[in-house]
Amino acid sequence: MSFSLVEIGVVGVVGLLAIGLYGLLAVRNLIKVIVALQILVKGALVALVLAGHASGQMNLGQSLAMTAIVADTVVAAVALALAVQVRRRMNTLDVQALSKLKG
Amino acid sequence: MTGLLIALTIGLPWIGAVAVWAVGDYRARLQHRLAVGFAVSAAVTALLLLTATTDAVELRLVVGGIFGDFTFVPDGLAVLLTVIAAVIGGLAVIFSMDYMRGEAGLGRYYALVLLFIGAMAGLVLASNLLLMFLFWEMTALCSYALISFYNDDPKAVAGGVKALIMTQIGGLGLLIGVLAARASLGSYDISALLEGAHTLAPETLALIAFGFLVAAAAKSAQVPFQTWLPGAMEAPTPVSALIHAATMVNAGVYLLIRFYPAFEGVPGWTTAVMLVGLVSALLAALLAVVAKDLKRALAYSTVSQLGYMVYAVGVGGVFAAQFHLFSHAVFKALLFLGAGAVIHAAGTRDMWKMGGLGKEMPFTRNTFVIGALALMGLPILNGFWSKELILEAGLHAGPNWAFAGMVFGAGLTALYTFRMVWLVFFGPRRSEKHVHDAGQAMRFALGVLAVGTLTTWLLVGSVGACLSCSVPAGEEAAHAAPALGEMVSEVLAAPATWLALAVIVFGLFLGWQREPLSKLVDRLGLREPYIAAAERDFGFAWINRQVVRAVQSMAERLRAVQTGQLNWNALGIVGALVVVLIVLLAGRG
Repeated sequence: MSFSLVEIGVVGVVGLLAIGLYGLLAVRNLIKVIVALQILVKGALVALVLAGHASGQMNLGQSLAMTAIVADTVVAAVALALAVQVRRRMNTLDVQALSKLKG
Repeated sequence: MTGLLIALTIGLPWIGAVAVWAVGDYRARLQHRLAVGFAVSAAVTALLLLTATTDAVELRLVVGGIFGDFTFVPDGLAVLLTVIAAVIGGLAVIFSMDYMRGEAGLGRYYALVLLFIGAMAGLVLASNLLLMFLFWEMTALCSYALISFYNDDPKAVAGGVKALIMTQIGGLGLLIGVLAARASLGSYDISALLEGAHTLAPETLALIAFGFLVAAAAKSAQVPFQTWLPGAMEAPTPVSALIHAATMVNAGVYLLIRFYPAFEGVPGWTTAVMLVGLVSALLAALLAVVAKDLKRALAYSTVSQLGYMVYAVGVGGVFAAQFHLFSHAVFKALLFLGAGAVIHAAGTRDMWKMGGLGKEMPFTRNTFVIGALALMGLPILNGFWSKELILEAGLHAGPNWAFAGMVFGAGLTALYTFRMVWLVFFGPRRSEKHVHDAGQAMRFALGVLAVGTLTTWLLVGSVGACLSCSVPAGEEAAHAAPALGEMVSEVLAAPATWLALAVIVFGLFLGWQREPLSKLVDRLGLREPYIAAAERDFGFAWINRQVVRAVQSMAERLRAVQTGQLNWNALGIVGALVVVLIVLLAGRG
C-alpha cells in the first residue's frame, strides 16, 4: 500500500486545521488561542504549497505561501503584544472572563 | 481632460477632508483656510465641467466582474447638479468661517462637509447604478453625522438617528430597484436601464419604478417620510443650508428626473409621484404656518418646495422641475444662511424671541427679504419663473383639482414666508439682547447668493441648452426648455400665472392681516386642534416614531449575538465558512 505525496499532504492539512480549530473553539487561555491560530494558519500554508504542486503551479503556490507567512508573522506579533497588554490591564488571560466587547 | 475634471471635482473635496482632519483642531485658522481652499477649487473644477458637457462616458474605472465598470457621464443634468453642490458647498464653507469660529471639533465638521460635497458630485455624475447607490449612502452617512454634530445634545443625536433610519428605508428601496434592474438587464449601466426599460416585464419595471419612488420620497423628505427633515435642523446652520436645503434633498428629485423616461409608462407611477408631491407641498406648508422655530419653518418650506418639483415630475413637467430645483437651491441656501446669521447673532432659533432685528442687521435683512420674495414666487426673482413653469405644466397636463391644491399651496407659502420675515426682522423687539450684523465671510456668501437669486432666471436658455445633452431624460426636457424671451412671454401670457399671483397676493394680504385672522381662527375654535395636530405632524410623527422604535428594538435584540466571547465568535466564523462551502458546492452541482 502506497500513498502519494498529495494524499499524505491532505491528511496533514486536515489534521493541522482540525487541531487549530479545536483550539480556537475550546481553549480559554489567550496565549493558547494564539498558538491554535498559528497551527490553523500553518495548515493553510501547507494547503497552499500542496495545491501549487497538484496543479503544476509550484511557483505560484510557494509565493502565496511566502506572502501568507509574512502577514501571519505580523498577526502573531500583534496578537502576542495585545495578550501582554490584556494580562497587565485585566490581570487575567481567560478569554471567557474578557467580555468587555459584549454588545 | 473631462475625465480629469470629474476626478478632481469628486477627489479634491475628499483630499481636503483628509487634510483638514490631519491638520488637527489646535490649528483652527489653518483648518478654515484649507477647507475654503479645497471647497473653492472643487467649485472651480465643477464650473469648468460646464464647458465640457457630453453624454459619453468620460471617466471609466475598470472594475469588471459582476460590478460592471464604474463609469461617470458628465451630461447636462449631472453637471448642473454638480455645480449646485460644489458652488453652494463652497459658499457654505466660506460662511462657516464666521459661523463656526471658536467651535470645538472643527476638523470633524469640515471633513464631513467636504466628504459630502465630493459624494454629492459623485452621486449625480456616476452612470453605474451600484456606484450611484454607494454615493447615495455616503451622502446619507455624512448627513447623519452632521445632524448629530453637537453630539452632547440628546436632541441632535435623536434627530440624526431618525434621519439615518428614515433615509435608510429609501436606500433599501433604491437597492431593491438597482438589484432588480441588474438581475433583469444584466448590467448596472444607467443608460442600459433607460434604453432597455420597455423590454422588461411590466412587474419588474413596476418594482424598480416604485422602489426608486420610495428612495426619492425618503431622500427628498416627501410624504410619508417627511418628518426627518425638521428633526435634521439640529445640525449647524451652514450644513442645513448645504445638505438639507440645497443639495442632498435634491437627490430624490434627481432620481425621479433621471429615470422619468423609463418609468413614465408604468401604470399608476406618474399619478403616485404627483400625489406624493401634492400632499407633501400642502402638508408642509400648513405646518410652516404655525412653526415657532425659524429653521423648522424653513425646513417645512423646503419639504413644500420639493413637493412642487415632485409634482412637476408627476405631471410631466420635467424641465420645470429641473429649473425649480436650480432656483430653489439658490434661494433656499440664501434663506438658510441668512437664518444662520440671525441665529448666530440672536443666540436663539425661536422666532417669538426675535423681532425688530432688521434695524441692527440691515444687510442680513435685505438679502433675507430677497430670498423670501423668491420663495413666495413674486416677480421677477428666480423662484417666480420656475414656480410658474411648474404651475403651467400642472394646468396643462395634470388634473384640475391637483392644480388647485398647488395654487392654494402657493398662497400658503406667501402667508408663512411673510409671517417668518415679519416675526424676525420687523415689529417690536421681543428680546433685550444686543445683536450685530453678519461678519465679512457671512456677507460674502449671502451677497453672492442674493445676486444669484435675482439673476439666475436669466440663464434659462443656457440651462436648457446644457440639459439637452443629457441621457434620454434631457431630450424631452430640451424640447420643453424655452429660450429666455419665450419663457418670459409664455409665463406672462399664461392664465395660471395671474391666478397664482392673485392667490399669492391674497396670501400676503392674510399675512399682513394676521391679527384679525387669528381672532377669527380663535372664534371658530380651530386654534387648539390645529396646533395639536401640527405638533404631531398630522399623524405622521407617530408613524415615523414607530418605525424608528421598531428598528431600535430590533437592534437591541440583535445585540445578543455580540457575546464578547472569543470562542463563540470563532465558532461563528467557522459556521459561516461551512455555510459558504455548502452554498458553493450546491451551486456547482
